[in-house]
Amino acid sequence: MGQRHPLTSNSALETTIDKILNNTEKDILSNIKLALGESQQKLEDSIPKLESEYDKIISDGKKEADKIEKQIIGSSDIEARNKQLMILEEAVNRVFTKALDQIANADKSGDYSNLIKTLLDESTQILDTSEITVFTNAKDRDVVQSALSQFSGAELSPDTIDCLGGIIVKSKDGAMTFDNTIDARIERLKPLIRKDIASKFGVGN
Amino acid sequence: MTTEGGVQYSKIAEIKGPLVVVDDVENAAFDELVEIETTEGERRLGKVLEVGNGKAIVQVFEGTTGLSISGTKAKFVGKVMEMPVSKEVLGRVFDGLGRPKDGLPDPIADKFIDINGEPMNPEQREYPKDFIQTGVSVIDGLMTLVRGQKLPIFSGSGMSHNLLAAQIARQASVVGTQDDFAVVFAAIGVQYSEAEYFRRSLEESGALKRSVLFLNTADDPAIERIITPRVALTVAEYLAFDLGMHVLVVMTDMTNYAEALREISAAREEVPGRKGYPGYLYTDLSTIYERAGKLNGRKGSVTQVPILSMPSDDITHPIPDLTGYITEGQIVVGRDLFRQGIYPPINILMSLSRLMKDGIGEGSTRDDHSEVANQVYDAYSRSQEVRALAGIVGKAGLTEIDLKYMDVGDTFEKEFLTQATDENRTIEETLGLLWKIVSKLPKNEITKIKDKFVDQYYKEE
Repeated sequence: MGQRHPLTSNSALETTIDKILNNTEKDILSNIKLALGESQQKLEDSIPKLESEYDKIISDGKKEADKIEKQIIGSSDIEARNKQLMILEEAVNRVFTKALDQIANADKSGDYSNLIKTLLDESTQILDTSEITVFTNAKDRDVVQSALSQFSGAELSPDTIDCLGGIIVKSKDGAMTFDNTIDARIERLKPLIRKDIASKFGVGN
Repeated sequence: MTTEGGVQYSKIAEIKGPLVVVDDVENAAFDELVEIETTEGERRLGKVLEVGNGKAIVQVFEGTTGLSISGTKAKFVGKVMEMPVSKEVLGRVFDGLGRPKDGLPDPIADKFIDINGEPMNPEQREYPKDFIQTGVSVIDGLMTLVRGQKLPIFSGSGMSHNLLAAQIARQASVVGTQDDFAVVFAAIGVQYSEAEYFRRSLEESGALKRSVLFLNTADDPAIERIITPRVALTVAEYLAFDLGMHVLVVMTDMTNYAEALREISAAREEVPGRKGYPGYLYTDLSTIYERAGKLNGRKGSVTQVPILSMPSDDITHPIPDLTGYITEGQIVVGRDLFRQGIYPPINILMSLSRLMKDGIGEGSTRDDHSEVANQVYDAYSRSQEVRALAGIVGKAGLTEIDLKYMDVGDTFEKEFLTQATDENRTIEETLGLLWKIVSKLPKNEITKIKDKFVDQYYKEE
């Protein structure tokens, strides 16, 4: 093998290396360019998808927020309304208790005997018989006894009942009973009275 | 309300099933309310079923268990059963007889209304044509509910109809109007856990404040179930026709109602009809279903979605059969879809809303609604045929278009039909999904939609 000139051989090597470097650089640059282009394209392509995803997340979030808002408002409204109802009921009950106290302590003279007569009349009509036994409380026995003189076939029971006033009437065969006490009449009218009391508190108008 | 009435009779001739026969009754009226007092002083409610020859037959709502002939008293109240109503009933929970079940007092009543209702004058009825959005795609898109309609859901036992009922109750709304909307929910003979689910579901979604719940659970006496739908409908009618609200009444399960009716009929020794149900089952059901509707000149409406479970999934059973004659279509829950885990498992090919055509289109939902819905019905039906064919010849034996139809069927079930129980879809979202299904077909297969709509909404993949 002959001895090569060091400069010549170096220069050829350098040229080759340069070529390789250039080619590699070109390749790399072209690859980078291609990759950049592809990435940009991908990015561009994904923008509408991202935007739609973004819109979906926002809209889902809004829906969820609306749902939670409705839940909070709904349950607070119900809670407030329930408290109002309980307070109202308490007030109505207080009015009832006071009214019943007043009725129990009211002076039962004068018109009261007329009321008993009316109650007796009504009861015999409803039972369709005057063969009756009448029950009343201890306080009203005298008034009822005197009213009974106008009802032949009717008799006052020796037993007394616990009530504010009025009478309970039983047919003598024991088959039919009609409760015409003041307590029972108030009980029958209670839903209407409750409404009237509530309207005084400004409810239901 | 009267201050009179209240004669108490103490001669009980007979106690038979849910019935009490009272002797020597002078004055009693058909349907009159009766208070039964036991020897222990407990009070139960009942109503007069029959009077004559000095006897009255009383049906006891809370059952006759523990009653004895001696010592039991029957007080004839002198009026029919009434429900106290006012706007305050909204947000309340009642039992099957209309008594508060939420620990609150009785509502302060504006009115006391006979629970048997007042028949609507047919001449005054207005044709239902306004859309109600349930937020459930398959209903809104393919079997649209309209205000004043009665559209039952037929289901089988154990399927997800109660989930669907609760979802409809939570999500239903009227769109395009500022009118008030309310839901009356009547649970008839449901399990306690189901009743709790309904209550909690409405409470937690905030929908309770516009709802009224009537809960008759399975452990409540069966006879109470006769009253529950009537009490619920009385409240619905008041909200609709007195307060001008649009009311959706969801009643589940009407099969339990019919069974209670059969129990009374058997106790009265009536001649049984099909499967032991009384001959008047049709008439009786119609007195409930026909309470849906709209009236001329009145603002509100009553829409009914009764739910009934078909014994042995049998659609020819007397209850769904007779219901189908009265109502305006049906939504059928399918066992196959349920087994596949699809919710809501509605079989659209067996379902139909007869009033849908009048409640959709321009001004209600969207002008393309009817056509896109028809196309989807057609495509899904074809997909089912292709599936059956594939079962015989295998997928390899199918043509390219067959495979497309198969894909349509899959997309329909997975993306349109399947919906989360808390997913409330708008009608626009529903129509968008319908178009997504249609767009899976080549344009030349789209034969039921006008070109202008295809140009506007079709999106080739």
